[in-house]
Amino acid sequence: MAATAVSRVREGLAPVGAFFSSFALAVKKGDIYVKLSLVIMGLGHIVRKRVASGIALFLTEIGFFVFLSKFALKYIGKLPTLGTVQAEMYFDPILFTNVWNDYDHSFKILLYGIVSVLMILAFIYIWMTSVKLAYRLQCDKAEGVRIPTLRNSISDALDTKYYRTLLFLPILGIVIFTVIPLIVMIAVAFTNYDQQHMPPTALFTWVGIENFRQIFSTSLTSTFGYTFAKILTWTLTWAVLATFTNYIGGILLALLINNKYTRAKKFWRTCFVVAMAVPQFVTLLLVRNFFADQGIVNTICSNLGITAFLKNIGLVPEYLNYIPFLTHKVWAKVMIIVINIWVGVPYLLLIATGVLMNIPQDLYEAATIDGANNVQKFRAITMPYMLFVTGPYLINSVVQNINNFNVIYLLTQDVYETTDQLMAISHGRETDLLVTWLFRLTNEYYNYKMASVIGILVFVVCTVITLVAFNVFLKKNKEGEMQ
Amino acid sequence: MKTYIKIKGERFYPLRHLFLLALAFFWLIPIFWLVLNSFSSANAMSISRFFPKEYSLIQYKNLLFNTDAANQFPRWMLNTTVIAVFNCLISSMFVLMTAYSISRMRFSGRKFFMNLSMILGLFPGFLSMIAIYFILKTFNMTNSHIGMIMVYSGSSALGYLIAKGFFDTVPTSMSEAAMIDGANQNTIFWRIILPMSRPIIVYTVINAFLAPWMDFILAKIMLNSGIASDWTVALGLYGMLDRSRKSLYFGQFCAGGVLVSIPISVLFVIMQKFYVEGITSGSTKG
Repeated sequence: MAATAVSRVREGLAPVGAFFSSFALAVKKGDIYVKLSLVIMGLGHIVRKRVASGIALFLTEIGFFVFLSKFALKYIGKLPTLGTVQAEMYFDPILFTNVWNDYDHSFKILLYGIVSVLMILAFIYIWMTSVKLAYRLQCDKAEGVRIPTLRNSISDALDTKYYRTLLFLPILGIVIFTVIPLIVMIAVAFTNYDQQHMPPTALFTWVGIENFRQIFSTSLTSTFGYTFAKILTWTLTWAVLATFTNYIGGILLALLINNKYTRAKKFWRTCFVVAMAVPQFVTLLLVRNFFADQGIVNTICSNLGITAFLKNIGLVPEYLNYIPFLTHKVWAKVMIIVINIWVGVPYLLLIATGVLMNIPQDLYEAATIDGANNVQKFRAITMPYMLFVTGPYLINSVVQNINNFNVIYLLTQDVYETTDQLMAISHGRETDLLVTWLFRLTNEYYNYKMASVIGILVFVVCTVITLVAFNVFLKKNKEGEMQ
Repeated sequence: MKTYIKIKGERFYPLRHLFLLALAFFWLIPIFWLVLNSFSSANAMSISRFFPKEYSLIQYKNLLFNTDAANQFPRWMLNTTVIAVFNCLISSMFVLMTAYSISRMRFSGRKFFMNLSMILGLFPGFLSMIAIYFILKTFNMTNSHIGMIMVYSGSSALGYLIAKGFFDTVPTSMSEAAMIDGANQNTIFWRIILPMSRPIIVYTVINAFLAPWMDFILAKIMLNSGIASDWTVALGLYGMLDRSRKSLYFGQFCAGGVLVSIPISVLFVIMQKFYVEGITSGSTKG
């Protein structure tokens, strides 16, 4: 395992090494123009009659240095401290009014600092590539190869290099809207950015791994360790239960509907799919009112005597005259899973129907001839086939359920209040998943540092689950005789 | 034990059908309740009776014509449609372009991109949302629809896997033949692969179109000005069930829920066919 990991890393780094060594070669073997290209980008191109590219490179260089002096250096210089000048109002005798001083904004410094570092790395890449290209042009000229013109490069961009044209905007989008924000938020986990340190009125700064220590420890003033352990346990329980109840439920329902003796298959399927078409936020908000403490279901249950019965057997606390569907910690957890079955089973029904249709019928016929009953057929044919086809989907849904914000948030926000003082101190609740806790910490309490720590830990949990599941579960399956 | 009866010579299992009927009842009852409440004359949710006392169209009328500080439904529909249309155009193009490149072309960095997109998918989405909010705020683009479109479509390329799975199944012989005839990759993409990929295009387009209608949380983070006319449908309807407003707007919420569900159901029925294909084809290939 370790050996393959090392060789994989080596394999992955090989292109990087090749990139640097070919750059070194270009610098060593290049003529004066190539060497001058190190300073004046694009010179090598212009000399070899690639004027347009040369000018573009030269303008890039100028633009970069303007960016560096006007913007990047200012922020990178402050990156180690994240700013030192506290925001203050002072009286300006000329304007005769109170004005803000020229303060440091820690978050802007962090964000722009990181953007600047990435821009510098990108520029270095362009710079090295341009020198390599200049050297290649020199070689081409020496060997008498016709130097590609601008028109050639355009037609390349539409043919052999078409992936660059296609991927440019999508990757730019990913970098701006996923990569940079993630790097910034990971960095925030190592700062003290919270309500007491909110820019612009206050500064925040680096604190090392202090926040990670806090989330794993419980003391008199901080209960993050306690809350984290509880919420993590519930998150994992929920992810597993939610995934498997839906999965099994969907398959059983699909088998029931698609059985050859079931009449009006289309009708049944439509009944369940209708529930999918109404947006989740509508159905979940509705269901939450449906099961409210003073809601319609409670009225019906109390009229039918169910409330009294549940009280008698001790499932509802004595002092309540309603069933606390979404307000008692155990009831709420059970209800969330039940409601999630309601939400999720139709999706699985669709998927399972599709997959079941593809199971070769002769397998069942052979089993019937051998005298297998329905349960045996289900265990020996249906389940292994389903697992084989939907295995990756299943792992994916565990990860998605760990991050299943909608169901929990829409069902419990403003409804469920925790009675556990220790959890309340760190703003957690029994029904929270790590992501809803993360959301509450940022949205209501501006505790960005702990939210970032939780986000990173969610990533770690998801990664471990994915890696273990793919290695253990799928490898075994691939060797099966499902082909 | 005989659990079936014979009707016109075919077996019929009454218990099984009764069971299905009970299940269908449970699945449909909240939807049924939604529709009933939307035709109720009462504004507040009735806690004592399932069926409304009086039926009327007043909730629909109020929702569509009596707009106020809490109800801007026509405006929300317009906002969401605009965002959805642009998101649909940009996201679909991003997804199809990425999927084509990864599926049909071989280049250095391809494996790296695939691994990176998988790793990025393991981070919880909100983590980046906080930073995106601040990025957009510095450009003054929170509470703007352009900002919302960018948020929805920006990283859409990460969802390329299903479309890639589809492109993998399109036979290469067609594009090879075209290449011999002198077509470049650009022509092959637009003239050969895309016309052959109608199912996945429909799937991608509808998925992208539906996202802003279904999404609640990104809108909540980005559109936080508290001005109702900025909101999307999801955010607006959520606001109607706010504690202070619930007693006045519950009926309108139900009417809104019904109205939103109609176009979504239509699109959903169209997409349903491709949904299964997408899940199973995208997942079996890595």
